[in-house]
Amino acid sequence: MSEKNNLSGTEKIKVASQGLRGTLKESLKDAHTGAIREDDQALVKFHGMYMQDDRDRREERSRKKLEPLFSFMIRLRLPGGFITSDQWIGLHHVAGKYSTGTIKITTRQTIQLHGILKSHTKPTISAFNTMHLDSIAACGDVNRNVTCASHPKESPLHEEIYQFAREISAYHLPKTRGYYEVWMDAEKLVETTEEDPLYQDRYLPRKFKIGIAIPPNNDVDVFINDLGLIAIIEDGVLKGYNFAAGGGLGSTHGNANTYARLGSMLGYLPKEQAMKAIYEVITVQRDFGNRSDRKQSRLKYTIDKMGVDAYRAEVEKRCGFSFEPARPYAFTSRKDAYGWSQNHEGKWYYTLFVENGRVVDENNYPLKTGLLKIAETGKANFRFTCNQNLILSDIADADKAVIQQLLEEHQIIKSTDSASPMRRNSMACVALNTCALAMAEAQRYLPTLISKIEPLLQKHQLADEDIIVRMTGCPNGCGRSPNAEIGFVGTSLGKYNLHIGGDRLGERLNTKYKDSLDETAILETLDGLFDVYVKERNAGETFGDFSQRKWIGDSH
Amino acid sequence: MLSDAKLRAIKSLTPTLSRDELLWASGYFAGLAQGIAGGQETAVAAPAAVKKISLVYGTETGNAKKLATQLAGIAKKKGITVKLTGLDQYRFTDLPKEEYFFVVISTQGEGEPPLLAKKFYDHIHENQLNLGKLKFGVLALGDSSYPEFCKTGEDVDARLEALGAHRVLPLKKCDVEYEEDALHWLDNVAAALQSTTSAPAAPAAAAPKSVGKKYYMGKVITNINLNDRGSNKQTFHIEITTDEPIDYLPGDALGIVPSNKQSMINKIIGITGIDPEKEIQTEKVTAPVRDLLSQHLNICYLLKSTVKKFAELTNQQIPDTRMSLYDLLRIYPVKDAAQFEEVIKILTAQSPRLYSISSAPNAHGENEIHITVSKNQFTVEDEERYGVCSEFLSDLDEGHEIEFYIQKAKHFKLPEETSDIIMIGPGTGVAPFRSFLAERDATGASGRNWLFFGEQHFVTDFLYQTEIQNYLETGVLNNLDLAFSRDTDQKIYVQHRVKEKGAELLEWLNSGAHLYICGAKDPMCKDVEDTFVALLKEKGTSEEEARNYLVQLEEEGRYSKDVY
Repeated sequence: MSEKNNLSGTEKIKVASQGLRGTLKESLKDAHTGAIREDDQALVKFHGMYMQDDRDRREERSRKKLEPLFSFMIRLRLPGGFITSDQWIGLHHVAGKYSTGTIKITTRQTIQLHGILKSHTKPTISAFNTMHLDSIAACGDVNRNVTCASHPKESPLHEEIYQFAREISAYHLPKTRGYYEVWMDAEKLVETTEEDPLYQDRYLPRKFKIGIAIPPNNDVDVFINDLGLIAIIEDGVLKGYNFAAGGGLGSTHGNANTYARLGSMLGYLPKEQAMKAIYEVITVQRDFGNRSDRKQSRLKYTIDKMGVDAYRAEVEKRCGFSFEPARPYAFTSRKDAYGWSQNHEGKWYYTLFVENGRVVDENNYPLKTGLLKIAETGKANFRFTCNQNLILSDIADADKAVIQQLLEEHQIIKSTDSASPMRRNSMACVALNTCALAMAEAQRYLPTLISKIEPLLQKHQLADEDIIVRMTGCPNGCGRSPNAEIGFVGTSLGKYNLHIGGDRLGERLNTKYKDSLDETAILETLDGLFDVYVKERNAGETFGDFSQRKWIGDSH
Repeated sequence: MLSDAKLRAIKSLTPTLSRDELLWASGYFAGLAQGIAGGQETAVAAPAAVKKISLVYGTETGNAKKLATQLAGIAKKKGITVKLTGLDQYRFTDLPKEEYFFVVISTQGEGEPPLLAKKFYDHIHENQLNLGKLKFGVLALGDSSYPEFCKTGEDVDARLEALGAHRVLPLKKCDVEYEEDALHWLDNVAAALQSTTSAPAAPAAAAPKSVGKKYYMGKVITNINLNDRGSNKQTFHIEITTDEPIDYLPGDALGIVPSNKQSMINKIIGITGIDPEKEIQTEKVTAPVRDLLSQHLNICYLLKSTVKKFAELTNQQIPDTRMSLYDLLRIYPVKDAAQFEEVIKILTAQSPRLYSISSAPNAHGENEIHITVSKNQFTVEDEERYGVCSEFLSDLDEGHEIEFYIQKAKHFKLPEETSDIIMIGPGTGVAPFRSFLAERDATGASGRNWLFFGEQHFVTDFLYQTEIQNYLETGVLNNLDLAFSRDTDQKIYVQHRVKEKGAELLEWLNSGAHLYICGAKDPMCKDVEDTFVALLKEKGTSEEEARNYLVQLEEEGRYSKDVY
């Protein structure tokens, strides 16, 4: 807490914000600009929004003496990534009316809409509210969307764990009613700002992410979270959770004090004690996290500064109970199981591939229309995965044929089945043209790049390998490139650092292998790597493990 | 100016003073001078200090812009007139003419200039400019956690010097927490200006007396469509430079005789078979047919009377209508080329079009003039047509030569600098108000300024948005009310905003504000006037009294219209 006298600008804004209200109401009334005031740009994140501008249009509009084309991204809070068919229908229409039309499934199991003009933010939030959806705390320095293993087939205990994810989300919501006042003109009930024992008036030093994995699948990428929970199931009963704290993949080019990090094991707790411990893991970060330098403020830096043992001890002191040693578990996969499957109750599930999470009708593939038709039957729920895919779920045996027919009619089955393993396991962040941090393309480019890598895979007879490739337009890691087997991190337009050596299950980070490669150099390099891999690999050795052994070495 | 005795008294004192004391004394005398009742004709002898600087910024995240705007505000309070421009808007041809040039610029990623400043950066690096007149200082913004900290600022600073410019302040590099350093830098700027002895080069050029209609030869240097993609409108911002100074004031109009399209003339020549080189004498000019048709005669939208004469001349039955010469010839052909020669003689002369000038002499210099032209689109028999002059102007390429004259405004002029003004100018009606605001900004007029602007869509049609935003931020524009008619279910126009702000508007008018309306006569101007009348009636006056109030304002010279 030595930084107390040197608080970052954002800290001052939070404290002065009167429960995240700031001058948002006034900002929305500023008719001369599509932007909101500077301080409010920090606050609006806590309401689930980012102010962005179309970077493709900056220069042209500037010549026309027009300000940048400002708009807002709105991200929903969907703990465990679940919505009903009615909610999907509503979302479909809101997206069409107020946003670019694309419904984007994020890497953290929720939905975001882009391109919403300032004048459309209130109608959008109001429309969400009537569907019982909100965007509170979907961004900002708070506990964000809680992710949870997405596939109900994994375990009969899925429902219990999913409900726990919802409880965690609700329990750690900010207490302010500012969201309702700003976006839905709710009356201010009390003159003073609401008391908030968890967040106080300063909130957390930085974003805070929680994810819950159900072994043997690590589809949530549990170790990248500030706090990852691993469900411990013994004899078909949920006993408790292993706690892993201090994950986070973001870093900054040229700043050696920043780095990607996987969570460290704090230990095991029975499920009855889990909520209390989660709360106190957060309060320790609240009280010990760096509040002067936002590039040092994630829990991962706090835990490295304090030491894992000291962090654990502080949590235990606040809880009044101690962690037990972590219990054994094993991950065998972190990909989505595409196609039809059935759970313990006999309900059917169809997992479909959504390239980079973009639900849109384009290139003669009517995905968005197909999903609307399916939602309109009212026979399927919608679940999102942390791999940006979609599960049509809870389909009764009698309804399966109807859904199957709609899936076929709209080429969804064909698209899912025909995508190569590399494409199906790929992930990219949004990047250009809306993300202010992007230095290079990601979701607009990765599909093209994969089309050029696929012939190389075929050439080396690797086409059936589930190699995990991910791309981010900057080193902040939203597309989780730092724990891919092949990670691309944008450095400038058309140039990417190539990282290799991450494992298939998300338990080891990759390492930078080459700097700032253009497309030609990427393809040449991969061609060479695949060649050596095929010749020298051990039986069953994944590309990630081989790369680590061959090119990266244990020193890293 | 001083008597010898007074001058001697001052001179006897000065050698004993240090530089700081001299600076203090100059401030002291200026303060005394301000204390003397203002408005006296005797101008205070300009202290040997620079009052006018150009401050430019190159920004990516907006920090440099924010800072530059803030610095400009502070500088103005210090009595320095600041021309604030983003490097994306900065015209390179102005650079060699600048005297005091200060730069606030950030550095991106791996030492690159901000995207919006890249053209400027490349321009100074790729060209051998002569900047011998330029005196400059650079404030570089950066983030010391990057290896190439403030590199763009360093580059610009070094390059300006290499091009012969004189550095009056050492390069200042600022880190993420820049506020304090920046304020300190501004103090240094102010000090550097004080310490310079060169008087501002502003000889009071005697305005050339205009005799009859004076034509200027100008060159188009900028022609941009201000409306964004997806707009229903096309509004062109055209900048023209001249070699000789242009004698004009804010509120004046620019007159121009458009040329007809060559493609249209070729079609007429083709359909009539006339020899385009044949000289013909018309009422006003004698010239070859091609020139007559292109430069001198109205062929686009003939008067009913002309159509009637054509019917008599060619002995055809033609309804009472207006149409283009080509359409007329197509439907009602002439007998032969000889008959068409007679037709040419009945055509009326091409009349000049007037455009409100959107630049201001004190802001943009006397060798430059701007107009704001809406491409006038209409439909004839399901075919899209454009107004002849707006099409001519919007098609002008940069570098094209153009002849124009100035139409002096009789009443539509800025009032004295202390008066408040209310400007209502939707669409291209904003043109003269851009001029007013630029002039008042440049001259530091103290009167308050209130602008009403409207168009169809906020995103695509907010003409001069970034300039208007800058005027708001620097306080030149006190009030701004906007009406975008097609962004909401109910159409909102400027008169609705006038109604909303009724009480405050009447307050301004009662305390002496001047009211201006520019734009469409019908319905806009009429609706706005009706709204004022309704506002006055709410206060208990009769309809007649309310109308009289407006007439009276007009007679007092406090209400002017430029409507069309």
